[in-house]
Amino acid sequence: MLLEVRDLRKVFKGGFVAVDGVSFDLPYGGSLAVVGESGSGKTTCARIVTGLEKATSGTVLVDRGAVQMVFQDPYQSLDRRQTVASCLDEVLAHHTDLPKVKRRSRMGELLELVGLDERHAPVLPRALSGGQRQRVAIARALAANPRLLVLDEAVAALDVSIQAQILNLLVDARAATGIAYLFITHDLSVVRHVCEDVVVMSRGRVVESGKVEQVLSEPAHAYTRKLIASVPRPGWVPARGVSRAG
Amino acid sequence: MTLLGLDGLRVEIGGRVILREVTLAVAAGEAVGLVGESGSGKSMTVRSVLRMLPAGSRVTGSITVGGLDVNRLDSAGLRRMRSRDVAMVFQDPRATVNPVRTIGDFLTEVLRDQGISRVEANRRAVALLTDVGVDHVERRMHQRPHELSGGLLQRVVIAAALATEPKLILADEPTTALDVTTQEEVVAILHEQRRKRGTALLFISHDLELAAAVCDRIAVMYAGEIVEILPANRLHEDARHPYTQALLRSRPGAVNPGSRLETIPGTPQSAADAPAGCVFADRCPHAADHCREVRPVLSPVDSGLAACHLLPNGVPHVA
Ligand SMILES: Nc1ncnc2c1ncn2[C@@H]1O[C@H](COP(=O)(O)OP(=O)(O)OP(=O)(O)O)[C@@H](O)[C@H]1O
Ligand SMILES: Nc1ncnc2c1ncn2[C@@H]1O[C@H](COP(=O)(O)OP(=O)(O)OP(=O)(O)O)[C@@H](O)[C@H]1O
Ligand SMILES: [Mg+2]
Ligand SMILES: [Mg+2]
Repeated sequence: MLLEVRDLRKVFKGGFVAVDGVSFDLPYGGSLAVVGESGSGKTTCARIVTGLEKATSGTVLVDRGAVQMVFQDPYQSLDRRQTVASCLDEVLAHHTDLPKVKRRSRMGELLELVGLDERHAPVLPRALSGGQRQRVAIARALAANPRLLVLDEAVAALDVSIQAQILNLLVDARAATGIAYLFITHDLSVVRHVCEDVVVMSRGRVVESGKVEQVLSEPAHAYTRKLIASVPRPGWVPARGVSRAG
Repeated sequence: MTLLGLDGLRVEIGGRVILREVTLAVAAGEAVGLVGESGSGKSMTVRSVLRMLPAGSRVTGSITVGGLDVNRLDSAGLRRMRSRDVAMVFQDPRATVNPVRTIGDFLTEVLRDQGISRVEANRRAVALLTDVGVDHVERRMHQRPHELSGGLLQRVVIAAALATEPKLILADEPTTALDVTTQEEVVAILHEQRRKRGTALLFISHDLELAAAVCDRIAVMYAGEIVEILPANRLHEDARHPYTQALLRSRPGAVNPGSRLETIPGTPQSAADAPAGCVFADRCPHAADHCREVRPVLSPVDSGLAACHLLPNGVPHVA
């Protein structure tokens, strides 16, 4: 296994239990979706996996040097004073043996992969739109050639055509390099498209898990059914009282 | 009656064109969805309404709210508009809420600015948080932003926007950080507020189905322009602009899992580099020579308006 998570528990100061006995596995080259309620502990789990947060108890087995993460809010994770070019070059210099000129062309490739180009290279994050920042964060994560990429709502801020380009890119990269994804998202059609397995979280716990096709076509848990019913579609009328905050 | 009127709005930042020409009217009580390419200027369009553009921006064309010219407001008028008539919910809640203040302070400040007593402000803040589905409300009031998940913090921001009972809510991807069940709750709350108080809404989203469910009309942006406007309930049937059609086809739900998603060939374009004629001409499968040279204007087609030289007959109708 590339990643083994066992009985993860996170209690924040004040005694709040954010993650309560979470276990899952991700094989080499696998693609696991984590879906679930807002506040159910998805980001906290991801931060523990990448080593940004310490678990209160439980174990995570993974080679942390081979993990990259794209954050839910890229503005927080990009250095505000660093241009796109210097941000990407720094990662390439650190994680690859490419000489300066090769790094330059690799940077061009990476930008193109995420639908950006040379014009964005000299720019600071604040001069980019939300989706453009998100794509810089994805390019930066890919620059490090990780074995495991943790994506926390990484495609939610993209319009559907650019999202399609990034999803195709993720599918291709996995086929070509065997990179694995831990994919946190609320978009079930994205889950269907990119992931093989899924865990459904609610209030700090895993309430259901299995193959994507199985879980989404025959949801066993009431929360999973509610999740599926909340997906916007033609004729859908949003109603109150369908969810509880976590 | 027009509540928000944008007429020939053009924005340049440091000499670079960001919005080429945006014309859009939102009636009192109406909900308009703004969808389109990342970087096309959706956020800048709504920011210009509150005069919250980056330093060095140059704005031409007119913006009116309730008949008042926004660009002529003095600082008192601007403050009144921002704190009373128009509320804004941003894409990233962490950029909105002061990280060192408590949630309670953030919410009650808005109310106390309107001369409401501390006790009453506190009571209303608690009621608002409960209304938008925040749990453990008393504990949340004393927490700081980093102690809340992205979704919870966005609900706090939405509660703050509702607090002033505005006439217009500008919502920039308000539910992008939320799971779908919470999203359903939040858009239902927005809907309820609109029904109760006749609040108008300008709603940016990348989820076309969501925008269609929440809004009366949909405006589609590409490279600093609105290229199509149509009734939300006709989005799938009547979309006629080649860009709108391409967007609808690239949704992951539009193909079977495992097959390749359709994308738009070429690179996304900013307003600054777009051709002189139609902004979409360089990537349009149907473009003819004069598309690159002559700018098309929004003209009636089917139930809406589209800016395309090839309409009404030239673009195949794909539902
Ligand atoms: N530093 C912290 N201190 C205290 N509580 C925290 C902290 N970080 C997160 N929490 C709480 O832990 C719970 C889980 O948060 P987390 O960010 O993991 O949720 P999530 O599933 O990612 O939600 P979302 O979909 O809204 O991003 C929430 O109730 C949140 O308020
Ligand atoms: N401070 C700035 N200085 C210069 N250019 C900027 C600045 N902020 C944004 N831009 C540019 O303005 C254009 C429009 O940005 P805007 O944020 O309105 O896009 P958007 O349609 O909201 O995109 P998204 O869907 O990704 O949020 C983008 O191409 C962006 O690069
Ligand atoms: Mg999260
Ligand atoms: Mg935006």
